[in-house]
Amino acid sequence: MEVAMEEAVAPSGCSSTTTTMDDDFICAWNDWNSAVDWGSFSSVADDFHELIESMMCPDVVDSPDGLMSVSQTPSYNSSPSSMATSADTPAEEDVVAGGSHDGDEKGLRLVHLLVAAAEALAVPHKSPELARVILVRLKELVSQAGAGAGVGGTSIERLSAHFTDALQGLLDGSTSAHCGGRNSFRDGHLHHHTSDVLTAFQLLQDMSPYIKFGHFTANQAILEETLGDRRIHIIDYDIAEGVQWASLLQALVSRPGGPPPPHLRITAVTRGGSRAMRETGRLLAAFAASVGQPFSFSQCRLDADEQFRPAGVKVVKGETLVMNCVLHPTMNNTRSGSASSVDSFLRGAVELGAKVVTLVEEEEQEQYEERGFVRRFMGELHRYSAVWDSLEAGFPMQGKARGMVERVILAPRIAGAVSRAYRDSKEEETDGGWGKWMAVMGFGRVRISCFNHCQAKLLLGLFNDGYRVEEDGSNKLVLGWKSRRLLSASVWKPPLSPPPPCPPSPIRVGIVTPDGLTASFEDSDFVSD
Amino acid sequence: MFPSKKPTMNSHDRPMCVQGDSGLVLTTDPKPRLRWTVELHDRFVDAVTQLGGPDKATPKTIMRVMGVKGLTLYHLKSHLQKFRLGKQPHKEFNDQSAKNAALELQRNSASSSAIMGRNMNENMHMNDAFRMQMEVQKHLQMRIEAHGKYMQNILERACQTLAAESMVSGGYKGQASRGVPDMGAVKEMGSTLSFPPLQDLHLYGGDQLEMQHQMERPLDGLFPTDDSIMSKKRSNPYHSNGKGPLIWADDLRLQELGSTAACIVSQEEPPPSKSEQLQMASSVIDTGIDADSIANVYEAKPILSMDSSGEKKYDGGTSKLDRPSPRRDPLPMGMGMMNPMMTGGAMPQARNLSYG
Repeated sequence: MEVAMEEAVAPSGCSSTTTTMDDDFICAWNDWNSAVDWGSFSSVADDFHELIESMMCPDVVDSPDGLMSVSQTPSYNSSPSSMATSADTPAEEDVVAGGSHDGDEKGLRLVHLLVAAAEALAVPHKSPELARVILVRLKELVSQAGAGAGVGGTSIERLSAHFTDALQGLLDGSTSAHCGGRNSFRDGHLHHHTSDVLTAFQLLQDMSPYIKFGHFTANQAILEETLGDRRIHIIDYDIAEGVQWASLLQALVSRPGGPPPPHLRITAVTRGGSRAMRETGRLLAAFAASVGQPFSFSQCRLDADEQFRPAGVKVVKGETLVMNCVLHPTMNNTRSGSASSVDSFLRGAVELGAKVVTLVEEEEQEQYEERGFVRRFMGELHRYSAVWDSLEAGFPMQGKARGMVERVILAPRIAGAVSRAYRDSKEEETDGGWGKWMAVMGFGRVRISCFNHCQAKLLLGLFNDGYRVEEDGSNKLVLGWKSRRLLSASVWKPPLSPPPPCPPSPIRVGIVTPDGLTASFEDSDFVSD
Repeated sequence: MFPSKKPTMNSHDRPMCVQGDSGLVLTTDPKPRLRWTVELHDRFVDAVTQLGGPDKATPKTIMRVMGVKGLTLYHLKSHLQKFRLGKQPHKEFNDQSAKNAALELQRNSASSSAIMGRNMNENMHMNDAFRMQMEVQKHLQMRIEAHGKYMQNILERACQTLAAESMVSGGYKGQASRGVPDMGAVKEMGSTLSFPPLQDLHLYGGDQLEMQHQMERPLDGLFPTDDSIMSKKRSNPYHSNGKGPLIWADDLRLQELGSTAACIVSQEEPPPSKSEQLQMASSVIDTGIDADSIANVYEAKPILSMDSSGEKKYDGGTSKLDRPSPRRDPLPMGMGMMNPMMTGGAMPQARNLSYG
């Protein structure tokens, strides 16, 4: 990691960060990013009452010095230096609105307030009233900046607006545990048209490697593990619109030389309504036909508790079974997969004797001192600030396109992530994601090939600088933005013996969805398989 | 074709015989040895690549993938061994070294193809590494295109559904029914598509996708003008800081053109210095004019063709499905990508209208 980023805790790290970074990255948003000392949140957040006090006296907080005075409490002597850094750096690179001195301070203030609000909602000091007050103030600040509905304003202001909405949603209790994408914290905000969602999704794909990275890495692993097999059967946990499979279908028919393409069957694991699934099946079947790939499609319903029942999958003797589990939030129309649901799916891989399991999930890397909700909240804030940053760095002039992606795709994910963080923080935390869990379960690691690694690098090369891919262990590729790890794709082989009875399962599952995506698809008499 | 590429890896003095249908060249010794011709080796490298690399491929799987009659496990085993021992395209694709390899290769091929042949042995490993990357690129390109095409299908499908539903729900016009803009809004969307007022969305195209167009157009003539190279650099400041992505991006496009000559011309251009880069970057960020105007020049054509297809699409026609396959022609594909960007700009307006 050549770029020592801000989570390096030591505020002095900040100044060195800015110097190492401006070689390559000039965007002002980055400057903001480097100016924020994420490590110092803990201290500031611990002391959020002071923040609140200052907030209650607009005179203090509105003057540029207001924030300084908060940070310069005797117990946090280190803070001023980081503040000073933030104030010094951006002046000469003041190219994008919000990169200015003022913008930095303002962004910092917004972030501090967000963390304070999260603190107020967190279990030990739970104080909804306080949270409510902070959120009111946040909304004021955000709408003053013209970023009220996540439109206009600077990046950090829009990001803050979405997080504010997410917290407000928690406060209002409109996000229940199983509401997933339906947490409509602001009417009309989440209710995007189908074509809006699709358009934004397409934009996100064109602007960043986030979607393709997971799909292509998993697919390449599947191709390698099934080479020479005559019948391939993929059970896909969360197929959504089936976007992942178009490239696999293409790849299967374009294997040069060898035998004719194998037959591919995809079983979509569904929750309830199967209309959207039929639509997906139709689209996939049409696509397969257009490239000449023998293909069939079927569904397998999760039971009432969202549990996967291996018996529900029709397995043909002699076919190679592949289980695919993409948990990073794509354009799902399904609801958030609960931990126990994913758990049951992965156990199903053992029971069914899958040849390979591909897993794509969000990466965790926070080392915050906080526990529970605040820690998770900061993790999400950091994660999405990295995503924001990556989009802005690549497309500084495309504010409109970015705004759309943020509003339509990312905002619902933020809402879901925050509500999940809140829900999960009440349970015991076992972090490390599903990969770690699978290792404990005895899943074997399937090596990421040279081809696969190369492909990921080439893919990232098509986008702006700043994305990184690294190998983590032999069977996992991690996609990151600068020093922040965001997503990983890993390849596993289920153990032969049945799994131990009760290993702990990780809590986070990254599925959140903009809702209503396929709600308008009409029912039809599509018959597959 | 292939007799002209005389150089081979094995002994040259033995009498050879070509084995009928498979084209394998074997010595006529009592113990026949296989001659690894350039062509055969290329197929070998392709197979290895496809199998995930030399560390993952086995003689058996290679044999299956190559599908060359007469080739035995024995041949493949020893060749794979040599291949593994030789400098491999390493798992850690060092960007810099890979780039060097690519440049080296082009320098060789630039001088003359004969020299390229003579240098074959020395450059074998470089060539292999390069070939492997080219192979991966080729596959990646096809996957990206398949992905894009499928997305396009979904979008079309959704639009059709929308149009159909809004017909049905015409009676509920007063009601702001969610997810179903009325026909007027859809029409509005369609007509907005025909005009290019969405400046910053165009700019968006100027960054990545339009880059392809910019590059492809001049390259169609094999010899890019200085202008095209300049435009590329100016409008894409983040790409050319010597870290590699520029080359990959180029390769991906150039390779599909199959033009080595163009490849050389564009890549022998010395990369701009860092300070230049920084200046360029800030100027682009400041104004964006360069990228904008250039993108517009090259966009002219796609937009014109969008007019007709855009209209058709929202009239519920399915004509778009008949488009030429993007696999053969990357341009329609790019236009397809433009589509959502434009609707992206238009949609908020459409929504306002329908919810008024």
